[in-house]
Amino acid sequence: MAILDVRDLRYYYRTRRGPVKAVDSVSFSIDAGKTLAVVGESGCGKTSTATAILRLLPRNVDTYEGQVLLDDHDIMAYSDEEFRKEVRWRRISIVFQGAMNALSPTIRCGLQLAEPLIVHQDVDKGEALAVAREGLRSVGLPEDVALRYPHELSGGMKQRVVIAMALVMKPKLVILDEPTSALDVMTQANIINLLKRLQREASLSYLFITHDLGLASELADDVAIMYAGRFIEVGPASRVYPSPRHPYTQRLIQSVPLLRSEVAPDFIPGAPPDLTKVPEGCPFHPRCPAAFNLCGWSVVDLQGFLEQRSRSTPGATHAGSTYEAKGAWKLVITPRKGMGPSAVVQELQALVARDAATTPVLTAVESIAERSGRAIVTLRTAERPGFTSDDSRRAACWLLTETGGSHAAA
Amino acid sequence: MLPLEAELPPVEALDESAEYPQVQLDHLRMWFQVGGGLFRNPVAVKAVDDVSLALWKGETVAIVGESGSGKTTLGRAALRLLEPTDGRLLYAGMDITHAWQRDLMWLRRTAGIIPQDPYSSVNPTFPIYRILEEPLAVHRIGTHAERTERIYRALESVKLIPPELFQMKFPHQLSGGQRQRVAVARAMILGPEFIVADEPVSMLDASVRISILKLLRQLQEASGITFLYITHDLATARHFSHRVGIMYAGKLTELGPVGAVLGEPLHPYTQALIEAIPDPDPENRGRERPALPGEPPLLTTPPPGCRFHPRCPIAKAGLCDVEEPPLRELRPGHLVACHLAS
Repeated sequence: MAILDVRDLRYYYRTRRGPVKAVDSVSFSIDAGKTLAVVGESGCGKTSTATAILRLLPRNVDTYEGQVLLDDHDIMAYSDEEFRKEVRWRRISIVFQGAMNALSPTIRCGLQLAEPLIVHQDVDKGEALAVAREGLRSVGLPEDVALRYPHELSGGMKQRVVIAMALVMKPKLVILDEPTSALDVMTQANIINLLKRLQREASLSYLFITHDLGLASELADDVAIMYAGRFIEVGPASRVYPSPRHPYTQRLIQSVPLLRSEVAPDFIPGAPPDLTKVPEGCPFHPRCPAAFNLCGWSVVDLQGFLEQRSRSTPGATHAGSTYEAKGAWKLVITPRKGMGPSAVVQELQALVARDAATTPVLTAVESIAERSGRAIVTLRTAERPGFTSDDSRRAACWLLTETGGSHAAA
Repeated sequence: MLPLEAELPPVEALDESAEYPQVQLDHLRMWFQVGGGLFRNPVAVKAVDDVSLALWKGETVAIVGESGSGKTTLGRAALRLLEPTDGRLLYAGMDITHAWQRDLMWLRRTAGIIPQDPYSSVNPTFPIYRILEEPLAVHRIGTHAERTERIYRALESVKLIPPELFQMKFPHQLSGGQRQRVAVARAMILGPEFIVADEPVSMLDASVRISILKLLRQLQEASGITFLYITHDLATARHFSHRVGIMYAGKLTELGPVGAVLGEPLHPYTQALIEAIPDPDPENRGRERPALPGEPPLLTTPPPGCRFHPRCPIAKAGLCDVEEPPLRELRPGHLVACHLAS
């Protein structure tokens, strides 16, 4: 049973250079008591995914759409006030990156912990402080930390306070945004152990955001690899780690220096794209060692492809195509003399059916209509590789489709 | 693929004629005085306390430790950017422990540093050309044409190609990895023999990290530079250095060839450190990682005896909390500071 189900989430920032597509059609779900780790390089949109779910939006939002279902309720439909009261912190909380600096230096830790209770639940101060002390105990801190100021604590202790703060309203889902990135390895191991224990005890769900594949494997039931604002591979950790499907995931895993292995790490040539200028087609294709012509196809290329296809339809004399939106194309076909539009449509349908089997670009014929002697065909195409499913695992790469595979072999 | 260690030339075979190590730290102490006032004595922060280490020409020695273990101070002291409190610092056999800075211009030409943060270590108002020209200007090297030639060659050597294009860019126009390449080029431009790389890749993405470390190794193979690689990351130390030294609370606790220290760690701290680091492995999900409780001690008041004993799982009362363990050579080239290691 999914506690969080995100469907086609888009979250773009507006800048002078055009929209920054930080989160671009991201879909995933997290089951109760499970962890999804989102792994990617810096600037790939990991943190934006988190802030989009929690609706912590800056002013320069360009696009913010999609569905976020929390326990089957679409929380995107909530008003900001409802969201603040019902969702944020109460049902989803977050441990921020660099959380050592997330505490106010002038307020005692206990009161900082109790604050959400006082604000959200109208609990009186004494009671809230008691809950706060309880929270400190649950993260392995002595109760007297409640009376101390953040500067009196070490980095690891501050991190524990921040975790206690995220759990004080007893949410079922906690977003962990690089929760240990500024800590030493020993402290990191202690914090990860703590997170494991808390998850076990309260059957919490985690959305764990990290750049460290090793660390991700500590908590992840499922792992999602993010690149240029998109999820390019999602699946159970037990399958993605040993046999990654997407070429980017494969290279990313190879770039991790292993402590317990002689295998030398190797880097991925090139750099991730600027999110205002994400390459057409598969965003990884300019760096991909296995890329072939289809990987870099743009909308314009697809248009050419479609026109060529509809021209080659027997019986058609005139063909034009227009791009509607989201991969939908409209083809207008005038039949040759002596031939009815329905005959052309039949021909085209057969052709598309054949193409769809051999060309992953064409996915489906949406509708075919006859209008004033012409055939108007709406086709659905993929602008970029869609997810191909392999059991529970999905990877967005042309090579993993049947045709793509033969391209790679050829 | 061959293991990386095998690709690197063995240290012993590098230069038989070299009598002295490139850089030698001899019982080096680097203490800082902090605080103090009318009624209060200043306290000493013992950032580096009695560390001995020799770096031979053409080798990379990694110094691994947690934050506050004194590893950065060690690096700065090794470059004589700090004047040691006690002990000796020798450069190619020459004692420079207390040499005057103005007598050390030759050292500034032959020893360089690659700093940690590529975002703050280069002047944002200078184009790359000027960033790289500055060391040449300070040391009054070359004519304008010669400098340009040198800068272009340096940019090419760090793979910022074409150099004509990169030399006129400003740091903000470059990515983090490219900036760090500029920092490497700046460290290399005077043709140094010794470079301290202080966490050179900790701010970068995994893939960029590997590309920078591979670049450093290529430069080492091409010109026999000695590297002191300061890092908190044991995994990169394993793949990009010959020897590794582990620091804890200002002390060198273990030193030896990378394979030996990581394959058969002798010090309980090294063992715990290795245990705490996860390699990517879905099996990690189901188990708790053994991790030491507690925190490293304050460097103003380190515990008596072995500094690690309050956290040590095998500490022996009456020995470890009383007597400071010396660094002993238990295996050939493999030293450890622990009473109980054998």
